[in-house]
Amino acid sequence: MQALESSNFETFSHKIFNELQSDESLSLTLSGEETLFTRFSQAKIRQITNLQQGFVDFTFIKGNRTLSFNLPYRASEADVGIAIKKLRESRGWIDRLPEDPYLVRPAYFGKSIEENLFDLPNEEKMLNDIFEASINSDLAGVFTSGEVARASTNSKGQYHWFKTKNFYLDYSVYNQRQKAVKSTYAGSQWDALMLKSNLDESINKLNLMNIDSKKIERGAYRVYLAPSAVSELLGTLSWGGVSMGEHQRGNGSLRELWEGKKKLSPKFTLSEDFNLAMSPRFNDRGEMAPNQISLIEKGELKNFLISTRTAHEYKLESNFATDWESMRSPVINCGSISRENILQELGTGIYISDLHYLNWSDRETARLTGMTRYACFWVENGKIVCPIQDLRFDESYYKIFGDGLVDLTDFSEIIPYTGSYFQRDVGGSKVPGALISNFTFTL
Amino acid sequence: MNLKQLLSTLTIGVDYVSLREVYTKSASLAVRNEILEGFTSSEDHGLMIEVMVNGQIAYGATNSFEPSDVLKTALKAKQQAQAARSKGLYHFSLDQRPALIGEYLAPAQRAIEYFNPNELTDLLVSLSAAMKTHEHVLSRTANFSMTDTFTHFVSSNGSDIRQKIIRSALGLSATASNEKGSQRRSFGNDFSSQHGLEAIDKNKLIIQADRIANEALSLLDAQECPTETMDLILAPDQMFLQIHESIGHPLELDRILGDERNYAGWSFVKPSDFGVLRYGSDLMNVTFDPTVIGQNASYFADDIGALAKKEYLIRKGILERGLGSLESQKRLNLPGVSSQRATSWNRAPIDRMANVNLEPGDSTFADMLSKVERGVFMKTTRSWSIDDYRNKFQFGCEYAQLIENGKLTKLLKNPNYRGITAPFWNQLKMVGDHSTFEVGGLSNCGKGEPNQVIFVGHASPACLFSQIEVFGGGK
Repeated sequence: MQALESSNFETFSHKIFNELQSDESLSLTLSGEETLFTRFSQAKIRQITNLQQGFVDFTFIKGNRTLSFNLPYRASEADVGIAIKKLRESRGWIDRLPEDPYLVRPAYFGKSIEENLFDLPNEEKMLNDIFEASINSDLAGVFTSGEVARASTNSKGQYHWFKTKNFYLDYSVYNQRQKAVKSTYAGSQWDALMLKSNLDESINKLNLMNIDSKKIERGAYRVYLAPSAVSELLGTLSWGGVSMGEHQRGNGSLRELWEGKKKLSPKFTLSEDFNLAMSPRFNDRGEMAPNQISLIEKGELKNFLISTRTAHEYKLESNFATDWESMRSPVINCGSISRENILQELGTGIYISDLHYLNWSDRETARLTGMTRYACFWVENGKIVCPIQDLRFDESYYKIFGDGLVDLTDFSEIIPYTGSYFQRDVGGSKVPGALISNFTFTL
Repeated sequence: MNLKQLLSTLTIGVDYVSLREVYTKSASLAVRNEILEGFTSSEDHGLMIEVMVNGQIAYGATNSFEPSDVLKTALKAKQQAQAARSKGLYHFSLDQRPALIGEYLAPAQRAIEYFNPNELTDLLVSLSAAMKTHEHVLSRTANFSMTDTFTHFVSSNGSDIRQKIIRSALGLSATASNEKGSQRRSFGNDFSSQHGLEAIDKNKLIIQADRIANEALSLLDAQECPTETMDLILAPDQMFLQIHESIGHPLELDRILGDERNYAGWSFVKPSDFGVLRYGSDLMNVTFDPTVIGQNASYFADDIGALAKKEYLIRKGILERGLGSLESQKRLNLPGVSSQRATSWNRAPIDRMANVNLEPGDSTFADMLSKVERGVFMKTTRSWSIDDYRNKFQFGCEYAQLIENGKLTKLLKNPNYRGITAPFWNQLKMVGDHSTFEVGGLSNCGKGEPNQVIFVGHASPACLFSQIEVFGGGK
């Protein structure tokens, strides 16, 4: 697909930059993909879609004014004409817009080209492997494969290109009682044996759920949150929890940590770490974030994420976060619980594999609510007794990663982002499991 | 080459082929603290090709209209349909692809061609300034967005449907913050509609801006919402969410079929519940109605060409019908609605809501208040969470007032409530009349694998529920 070739995008952008006048600058951000989405229900194909798309965001600056526009991109000569026409039309608007006192001007952040293009088998082979590995099971989910490209360039000469070819099978398997186990098989190199092993592990785990579920009464329990559940917690924390702008505007959810009135557990260390290499280090403006940014170290706030716009407004130093100031590559440091000792350390309580539909119940006190989902078990004296009926929790991050945090596991897992609103997400998190005391369930 | 000509070039040996061209133009402006934060315009134009081979459907999507690219994408879809047939979940026929001809034009009078960023910026700056009622109102945002989506659908069995859906929304928010904490009030975010710039009334908006800023300030000094089981009156701007999460989603037939189990979840509703389940009290009448003029999700036909019609989903509290396409109706042998919709050209259509509305009753707001000895009145969605079966929910609102002996008394902050869907709706005690009725619309309903967002509409009167668990914020 032409739109996924770096040289085509470079040529396209230069043709647009050549149209700029002396007091103008322009930044371009490309998102493109060539994807096969195969949707499964009952281990059969429900829908199958092949997709080719590309679009470019343009940020146009003239003097102290700015506006942005977005156009489809196919790497055709016609795209150049459409973009130049839009640029000329924008000149008619921009002069009459107010000046932007926090304007972020494009800057030169170097050049890079990163392509992770391992060979994948053809789609039919990968689908057949999935069918063979899931035979006799009730599997629901989506298999996604193909190329994704992200790029950022500007009229100051900066050029960054990121392209990856990967796949993921995001799935859950169900028993007759409609209890489920969820997992993901993802990567850039296809291994049918690894796929089979992943599915076998899920199907074996599902066997643990073939007995009646226990109804747990409301109250506080000792719980173990598996890495995928911890990753969900990070997702909500990313929604205003580590954003400097949101805290400055009164909407932040770790205000007491920011003000130094509270601390989290000394066992809790969180960073933004691009060494994971699952997402580009450059943001939508093409700014290169540091390889690693310490956010919370041993329970103490080190940094919030700060975009350059927030930095300009509040006279701070940018760490080149996105405008949303959300985490792109979060990593939580490990603790000391070994995989073999998880149930023993939990003792009597609830093993939670996944959490669902999290939202703030009170931002002011960093309280959030959500549901248990998939393979969650009642554990007594270090032994799994039975699955549980789903529970609603309502608890504060100051408890979960604070005084309630008993310990973290000595291993962590990479949880890939499998979202695909508008376009396929890239990136992921790397987190351990967490043992927490007095975790509150409310319904 | 027009779309029908393009279709005629696709002689690729399939039983059915359709083209769905979607051309979306949108523009948005955002102002915070009287400063323009962004003016963005965008265009998105692409094509979804659907083919059916021996009952197996497959899709190909491209944003190239070059006939050679379209042919290549169509042939790939054909090949995938052939390869998938032996592994397909269900095989369909042309009965699930009706032939329909028609047009739809949203009632907006001043659409995107009238979008003037300079004038609109002035308006939003004025609204932001109107919220500057006190130094503690730290954040004052005003946003406006407008979307113009033209869809042209043609199929090999004769469908030819052109629809132009124009939507706009204006939202305001004020966050007040001091040493006691932070409180946010908003207006307009749940009121997207198919009206255009003509719907903007600056004087009325200034009044709303001033109101929400003062309410946010007042909430800083309010007491926490009590933790108690008591009567609850919900304003329409919270009822929209209550309807969306606990009626709309559980009634989607693809969830009931289990197609959504891995992402959005499924439903506590079983196929055998239709016609018999007492979903709520006999005051509860809920309709699917994509024919309401000007409501956010009105249209002539869905994205496979099924004609839009008003249908009762729940009548006098009894579940009658689900939100399911012709495909889901066939698989379940149940009636449904015309709701197979896609977020844009790049996604296959799935079962969706459109306008799902709670029909008004006959109680005035004063009637409802008078029946409450001790309760809470809550307004405006702040937080939402519900389980994957759509049973156990917890919702929070921005603003509440205590009701004592039939009167609104103290202001309450951080109000939340929780419940389980069917018992909650069976505690519906009074339904407001037309004087309490409001029409709203949301633009961000997420679902599906691959993920899709879509616009929906909800309308509702204020409603009284008896003996609900309410609680506040804090530790």
